[in-house]
Amino acid sequence: MSALADTFSRFIARQTGARSARVIDFDKLSGGAIQDNFGLTLELEGGSRPGRQEFVVRQDAPSAVAESLSRPQEFRVLQAAFRAGVTAPEPLWLCEDPEVSERVFYVMTRAAGSASPRKLVKADFSKEQRRNIVRRLGAELARLHTVKPPQESLAFLALPDPGNPALSRIALYRRYLKEIGEPHPVLEWALNWLEDHVPEAGPTVLCHCDFRTGNYMMDGDQLTAVLDWEFAAWSDPCEDLGWLCSRSWRFGADDREVGGVGDRQDLLEGYREVSGVELDPAKVSYWEVMALVRWAMIALQQARRHMSGEQRSLELALTGRMVAQMELDLLNQIQELEDGK
Amino acid sequence: MINQPETRDLLAEARRVLLDSIAPDLGGERKYQALMIANAMAMAMRELEQREQGQPEETDHTVRAYLAEHSIDGTAAEAEADLARAVFERRLDGTDPALRSVLRTLTEARLRINNPGFLER
Repeated sequence: MSALADTFSRFIARQTGARSARVIDFDKLSGGAIQDNFGLTLELEGGSRPGRQEFVVRQDAPSAVAESLSRPQEFRVLQAAFRAGVTAPEPLWLCEDPEVSERVFYVMTRAAGSASPRKLVKADFSKEQRRNIVRRLGAELARLHTVKPPQESLAFLALPDPGNPALSRIALYRRYLKEIGEPHPVLEWALNWLEDHVPEAGPTVLCHCDFRTGNYMMDGDQLTAVLDWEFAAWSDPCEDLGWLCSRSWRFGADDREVGGVGDRQDLLEGYREVSGVELDPAKVSYWEVMALVRWAMIALQQARRHMSGEQRSLELALTGRMVAQMELDLLNQIQELEDGK
Repeated sequence: MINQPETRDLLAEARRVLLDSIAPDLGGERKYQALMIANAMAMAMRELEQREQGQPEETDHTVRAYLAEHSIDGTAAEAEADLARAVFERRLDGTDPALRSVLRTLTEARLRINNPGFLER
């Protein structure tokens, strides 16, 4: 660990032009099976960032997932989001030099607070505080969605094919289900439903694609950073809102539709205030159904990673047994949508 | 062959020791791991119980009967596989309440093993 801390602090000293960098604190942060995150506090002497500085260093973990972005790609997405005014850690420096470290890493600023979903969902907030948090979530997405293709720095992100992101997702999940080879009649049925109810495609924008409670930091009732950008993609704006509202991410607070925190109406209002765009709630509901299918696909793939021996893990194995939850939610949600609830 | 105490009893006792004697002294990641182990053991116990009661066969029979009513011949060992294929091939009406009821039966049967609490939400 200390060798890593030295590697990172020497790198940061060089980037900032500091005369010296003293390690005050270095620890591995929790979360992230795909990458390792380290908290690094330095006392920098001179240079462009003198004094006590708190950083997060994000590095590939030995077991990377094919579907997610590489560290350099993620760094560029984070740069684009940060430039668009999203409250995200400031991306500072990317290091791809094997002379410095065998694994690619990048350094960003460290945000205050916690990303714990349980803590946030259980917090004793007033109605007003909940409304403000949810409006803020809408505002953050609205800022992110101002980033539109083409973007030279994001050329590695594929455009939805065919032109409608929903159809593109359905085709992808059909392929996954075929590859997994396990019978899942509820998922087949839900994919048929999604195919039969495809909404008109919205604008194609930069979507976070994992924007949910647990992936943003809160300090009290203030959002301090949107994290985990490795699934970012060009898609329909409603994909991000649907994922955030999905029943899977309410952490027991099922009646609070937006991430177990607050109401959907406030989310849409927060979004409209910043973007001037009035999103169709029915379209968000459609993408919520898509979100349940997507999470079921991810859970099936995680179980496969365990079963194939690629990565034996009790956590991955148990995730596979969660699929029936998404399936029951799909049966209920589609019925409710049809009943006009 | 008589081999006592029976498997479910072994699992139940092992899980009790884990939760009552070991887990309380653990913290952080290790506590999380202990709770995951307890969860996996509870699932295995429920699955054994369901098998003893012939639940999987009963669910399979329900699916088979539904498929027969819709003139779909079963070729797979599990009726669920035939159902998945028929749905994928759109040989069944997705809006038919009887289809949705069969899908629900299958899903609930799995949840009774994997997470019965989820059915009570």
